[in-house]
Parts: sequence; C-alpha cells; structure tokens
Amino acid sequence: MPVVAAERGTTPAGPRRGLPVALVWLLPLPLLLLLALPLVALVWRGASGEGLSAEGAMILRQALGLSLATSAVSTAAIVGFGTPLAYALARKRFPGARAVDLLIDLPIVLPPSVAGIALLLAFGRFGLVGSWLNAAGVTIGFTTAAVVLAQSFVAAPFYVRAAAGAFRRIDRDLEIAAANLGASPWRTLWSVTMPLALPSLLAGAVLAWARALGEFGATIMFAGSFPGVTQTMPLAIYGRYGSGDLETAILLSLALLVASAVTLAAIRALVGDRVAAPGA
Amino acid sequence: MTRRPLVALLAAAFLAPAGLAGPATPATAQVAIECPAPASPAAAAASAPAATPAAAPAEVAFPEGGGDLTVFAAASLTEAFEEIAAELEATNPGLAVTLNFGGSQALVTQIEQGAEADVFASANFAQMEAAEENGSIAGEPVVFVRNKLAIVVPTANPGGIGDPADLAADGVRLVLANPDVPVGRYAREALCLTGADPVAYGEGFVEAVAANIVSEEEDVRDVLAKVELGEADAGIVYVSDALVGGEAVSQIEIPEAVNRVAAYPIAAVAGGDAALAEAFIAYVLSPEGQGVLTGFGFEPAG
Repeated sequence: MPVVAAERGTTPAGPRRGLPVALVWLLPLPLLLLLALPLVALVWRGASGEGLSAEGAMILRQALGLSLATSAVSTAAIVGFGTPLAYALARKRFPGARAVDLLIDLPIVLPPSVAGIALLLAFGRFGLVGSWLNAAGVTIGFTTAAVVLAQSFVAAPFYVRAAAGAFRRIDRDLEIAAANLGASPWRTLWSVTMPLALPSLLAGAVLAWARALGEFGATIMFAGSFPGVTQTMPLAIYGRYGSGDLETAILLSLALLVASAVTLAAIRALVGDRVAAPGA
Repeated sequence: MTRRPLVALLAAAFLAPAGLAGPATPATAQVAIECPAPASPAAAAASAPAATPAAAPAEVAFPEGGGDLTVFAAASLTEAFEEIAAELEATNPGLAVTLNFGGSQALVTQIEQGAEADVFASANFAQMEAAEENGSIAGEPVVFVRNKLAIVVPTANPGGIGDPADLAADGVRLVLANPDVPVGRYAREALCLTGADPVAYGEGFVEAVAANIVSEEEDVRDVLAKVELGEADAGIVYVSDALVGGEAVSQIEIPEAVNRVAAYPIAAVAGGDAALAEAFIAYVLSPEGQGVLTGFGFEPAG
C-alpha cells in the first residue's frame, strides 16, 4: 500500500498516525451494507409503487396515530417512574439492589414472546393480578392500556440503564460543593445533578421510545389486534403482509421509517448532538 | 431548568395509563361485519367447492431413497399433518418432511416471495386461487378434506355462551381471525347467515356481534390461544381446532343451516419436487391419510 507508506513517511513523528483508510472503510462495509440495503430497498419499492389505497390510508391513520400516542404515554410513564428508580440504583445502597438490577436487565434479553406470555399470566383475565382486577370490573386485555403495558415492559430497561449510568458518572465533588455552598439536597438535585444527567436521560428516553414504537410480539400476544384500539403500526404491517397485501405493508413500513427518522432528527435538533449516541 | 415541566411530565405519566385502562369497550373504529346482499345464502353455498375431490386416488409410491419434502399448510392442519409426516417418514427410509404452518394467506405471500415448497395445502379456495394466479401452483388443486366451524369458549365460560345467539349479548369479548384469513371469512359468512334469520336471532344481530369483536387474529390458532387463556369469552374456529383446544375449551355447535364448511384444496407447488409432491398428495387422499385427518376432527373430502 504505497499511499499508506507515503503518509507514514511524511509524518514520522506525528503524535497520532491515522489508521489506513482501507481498514477504516472496507472492513465495516458488509455491516454498513446490511444496515443500509434493506432500508434502501424499502424506500425504492415504496416510492415506485402505486401509492396507498383508501383502505391503506385508513389503516395508516389509525395505526400510526395509535403507535405515536401509546409510545408517547409509555415513554412518559417510563421516565416518570424510571428516573427515581435509576437514581436509587445509582446512589443508594439498599437490600435487594442487585436483584432489582437483574430485574431491570431481564426484559432486554427476553424475547418479546416471553414478555407476551408473562404479561398474560400476570395481567390476563385469569392472571395473578388480572383476576383481581377482573373481579373489580377492570379488564386490561384487548385495551389500549395493554399496549402501553407491553411497550413499557420491554422498553423501560433501556431508559433505566441509561439514567442509572448517568447518575453514576456525575462528579460527586460538584454536588458536595453545592451542598457546602448551602444548597439543600433538593436544590442540589434540581440545580446540579439533573442538569448534568439530562443529556443521558434524554438519550435513554429516545432509546426507550424507539423500542416502544417497535414493540410487536408482546403486544400481539397480550393486547390482541384491533384497528384503532390495539393495532399499532408493527401489528398493522404484519397483518397486511399476512393478508397478502404486500403493497400496503411496504408503504406502512415506509411511513413508520419516515416518522421515526423525523422524530429522531427533531429531538437531536432540539437538544443537540449530545443525544446522538444513546450509549453515552 | 425549572421544575415545572418535569412535574407535569410525572403527572402525565401517572395519570395517562390510568385513563386508558378501564372497562374493555373499544371506543373507536368499529370494523363492521360486511354481509353480502340478502340473497346470499344460496350464493355462498354455491361458491364453495369448485374442484371436485379426486375419486379413489391411485396409490403413488415415494421415490426410492426418499428425499426432502417441504409442505406449506394451513395452521388448522398442524397436528394432522405432523402425524401424517411422522408416518410417512417411518415407512419411507430417507424421506424427510419439513412442515411450515401459518395462515393460508401468509403462506401464499411466502411462496410468492420465493420460499421453497413442494406442496401447498390451503384452508380455502380463495388463497389457492391467489397462489395459482401468481404462478406458484403446478397442476390442478383437489379438495382433500373439509372442516366445519364451531364456537369455542373457555371451559369456565365467563361469557355465559350457550348458542350462537349469545354472541350478540352485551359485553361478550369475541375474537375472530381477520377477514383475510379463511376461518375469519367463513366465520363472518356464518354470522351473516345467522343474522339473515331475524325471527330466531333478532334484528341487528350482526351489528351487535360485530361490536363485540375485541381482536382480529392472524390465524386460527391465535384465536384458539386467546380463548384457551380465557382472555376472550368466545372465538370461532374449525371443529378440528376445537378438539386441539382439549380441556381448556368447550365447543358450542353452530347449526348446520348457518354453518360454513371449509373445503381444503391441496396442490403441488411449481418449481418443487413433483414426484415427492404427487406421492404426498396421494397419501393424504388415501384411506390411511383420510383416517388420520378424520381422527383430528376433519370431515372426509368425498
């Protein structure tokens, strides 16, 4: 590789020598193609089709509206309950902390079908909790609430992980300094800790929202599928695919892709690139 | 950062799910059951079996040394075809049968998209015709088995369902397959036939039943699962599926006059192994094959 050799020759004493271009771009090429080609194919097929039928447009309206609404509620609930939990996990020693830690990780590794069965056994009409609720006249199965529960179950860990990590990484000296300057613990939390953690909290919330938006397996098993009530975009897409209506399935997928991309871009524009890497 | 937005967010998080829960009455979007014009019963009956069952099929031996046979079959055939495959593998050394089950309409999509199959067994003619139209089928489909509809309810029968008329009762949680799935279409046809008799079932029967549908599933086994779990008060499946449900479900008969009988066509898939396909189809049509199918609640083809 003469080019590389030449570079090496020109900057012999440079503090950092760049890796060969070929290495940086050729090695990950298969992965890049794997990620890009299906999306390109989706856009290409969607754009070259005949467009959405009237029935397809109705399905899109109902399913996309339901998906955006349920994933927003799930994310709000996850942030609301998950932030204190993440703070406790990061900062407090309490009995069973390790068990809670494991509990938070499990939904990440569990397949959604396991989540679906487990949710049914807990909140189904004859489930552990569901039978009590049912006796009280509240049924969760086949309602929009079931969709939110399924989404929250699978998506919460992503937020709690990110938030706990953020709280752990904050320089405790800053908090101690605030306290020494006379700030109350609450004031320290709101004026020092939360602003420092905010980028990671937002990144975690975006990740959780994305997971909730894509939830499929647990929803179809636990919530069922009914237009406008429980049939979110992933279910509607699967339904159209299964019904042999591939054209509508493709266009619904494209719509979800666009909606997700726009939302992600908007959030990044709003809070800056700090949210760009959810793992940060 | 002020605390107000976060407080509002927290409040929303607590309140929103509570507001969404509650009695399970789908507030929006009713997908009504669309019944054809009143003259339908005769038309519906006439539209059923286009192809005639093959009369006394000749026995066709599997090729010497067996081979790999892939069968795509409607979900309702799962247990029966598994037994048939096991018997064939036991009696034909070297034969390996791969079975792929799903909603017939999903199988058509899979075959159209290039899935490798030798035999396609559908739960209705519409899907077989769709497969023929896109060039997936070799040869003439033949009816190999029939299946009636039945209502299934959880053994505890929380909805208090005793006959089809009860499906219209207020608050019954009914699960059907979606209208593109054969069993979902047959179920709607049967409900329409039932509703066509307002003297016995009352005015507005079909509308009342349609309002009770809480979920539209992707195949017949998904319907059965929702009933087995007790999530649904009732579902409409094939008689053969009602048997698969075992002790978890009770079966409620749909009267002959308003029932719909599904005729299952089977055919070789274009581009598949024709010899293996022919032998498999011949076995399914043979007395042994028919015996297995009737053992699982199906009705013979003839």
